[in-house]
Amino acid sequence: MESDSSTATADSSTAKPLSRDNLGGLLDSVDAFLFDCDGVIWRGDSLIDGVAETLSFLRSKGKKLVFVTNNSRKSRRQYSKKFQSLAISVSEDEIFTSSFAAAMFLRVNNFPQDKKVYVVGGEGILEELQLAGYTGLGGPEDGKKVVDLKSDEIFEHDKSVGAVVVGLDPQINYYKLQYGSLCIRENPGCLFVATNRDAAGHLTRSQEWPGAGAMVAAMCAVTQKEPIVVGKPSTFLMEFLLQKFNIDCSRMCMVGDRLDTDILFGQSAGCKTLLVFSGCTSPSLLQDPSNKIHPDYYAGKVSDILQLSGP
Amino acid sequence: MSAAASSAAAQPLQDAEQLIDSVETFIFDCDGVIWKGDKLIDGVPQTLDMLRSKGKRLVFVTNNSTKSRKQYGKKFETLGLDVSEEEIFASSFAAAAYLASINFPKDKKVYVIGEDGILKELELAGFQYLGGPGDGEKKIELKPGYRMEHDKDVGAVVVGFDRYFNYYKVQYGTLCVRENPGCLFIATNRDAVTHLTDAQEWAGGGSMVGALCGSTQREPLVVGKPSTFMMDYLANKFGILKSQICMVGDRLDTDILFGQNGGCKTLLVLSGVTSLSMLQSPKNTIQPDFYTNKISDFLSLKTAAV
Repeated sequence: MESDSSTATADSSTAKPLSRDNLGGLLDSVDAFLFDCDGVIWRGDSLIDGVAETLSFLRSKGKKLVFVTNNSRKSRRQYSKKFQSLAISVSEDEIFTSSFAAAMFLRVNNFPQDKKVYVVGGEGILEELQLAGYTGLGGPEDGKKVVDLKSDEIFEHDKSVGAVVVGLDPQINYYKLQYGSLCIRENPGCLFVATNRDAAGHLTRSQEWPGAGAMVAAMCAVTQKEPIVVGKPSTFLMEFLLQKFNIDCSRMCMVGDRLDTDILFGQSAGCKTLLVFSGCTSPSLLQDPSNKIHPDYYAGKVSDILQLSGP
Repeated sequence: MSAAASSAAAQPLQDAEQLIDSVETFIFDCDGVIWKGDKLIDGVPQTLDMLRSKGKRLVFVTNNSTKSRKQYGKKFETLGLDVSEEEIFASSFAAAAYLASINFPKDKKVYVIGEDGILKELELAGFQYLGGPGDGEKKIELKPGYRMEHDKDVGAVVVGFDRYFNYYKVQYGTLCVRENPGCLFIATNRDAVTHLTDAQEWAGGGSMVGALCGSTQREPLVVGKPSTFMMDYLANKFGILKSQICMVGDRLDTDILFGQNGGCKTLLVLSGVTSLSMLQSPKNTIQPDFYTNKISDFLSLKTAAV
């Protein structure tokens, strides 16, 4: 069996290396491909080799493409622009971000529009909330606020906040931790929503950075509560997009670089799964005895699909 | 009232004299027991004087790592209390004492996510450190080509309460823990909330520690309450038997658990974060031996005359 030189074998895993032999079968059995973004399509702002051509190839074969990312920093609209800047044509409707998931979760659960949402996270979450008709507080602006610990001064918070949404926040600070936790602890019925709990992600090309998992864990520690997670691997996002596109998950393939979010996400829904090594998971991590998550297939990177289909 | 399955319900303190006579040392938590924010709690000076006059050893153990023992000594002095540095054990000191106890090499460095108290104690113990409040000024720009470098000589990351907490520190600490072989991940404490001002509760050191746990996917070694490290340290230092100690605190999951883990008598005071209804709630599984309103009750509660 031919194997891509960049792919080491992962012998003790039940996952199969993607090959010329099995690629045809995979393409025939799947109508839609779901792609994670960080570590699969790009790393930071750099497109991974061969991605554009592979996506075109899949579209030419009539496959539906959907992009599902836990990165909440941008809105769907902003992600569509990012794809554009990398010369790939992807419409907003094909993109599902955890920022969008948070707004949709509130809508699906009839979150009242007279309640506010406090955001420990970026512009992407604020924009999606606004598009869904909600009032967001916090976000990047609160990253500039400093806490002044004078003896008799009370740290105030808006009593009409009915939900706190926590996502990836490079402007995390003590002010936001205090504000968000006060809302959760003191506003009756206040929801604690997490866009996702990824420990780390490739926010720049050469390095991993702390993910939303860090901010969420900080908030859990103060409030001693567990959040409702709307991003991968939670099934909320999958159920939402299955309903929207009316596809059968057995005819879908999830392509991702992370076992405990992407692959688990696909498996929970009954999709086929393909792990790529272009992001945060190495072959040795896949075959480590402590790893319990085995995708159907693995490959070096997304463009292996194109490469293996060639003459 | 339903008691927890394995422990008898806490008794209201009635015979203070009996309790005092039965122990040799009193360990006091500070926030919510001695003071609240910067205000002394009523009757504390007289109570401490009375205990000293009865020949009791007094020790003060706080999870608050923002000050060093020396700085706490000054706080006690400002409040008119006669307490020496050697009687104070803050979790900032505990972190340094822990590193000394494992012979942490002097040529290795410590990265600190925390405040001045930790830095001062590390310096006193002769350890090199990086980070601290200064890194609160550092910003991240996630631009293409940006890479954070970290010191490969960092052999331990110490995390405690940090009001200057930011993303730079989370990444720096994570890089050290993840990439420097054998790098220790130490937490001064994991308190969810803390009384930084006497007016309200504030997010505690547990939040900074939580963030590092979330990004490293590792659990830290905790040196502050309820871990028994400080208890073992001072029992050893002063040559006292733990059965001769009474731990007095306002928080069930740190102070009282600390005392119980250490095999001491425990007294909960209601002058801090815990109310009587919280103590008696069916959800609460931690029962101290005794409870009372505040430590100055020692002065007024005589031998029971029922």
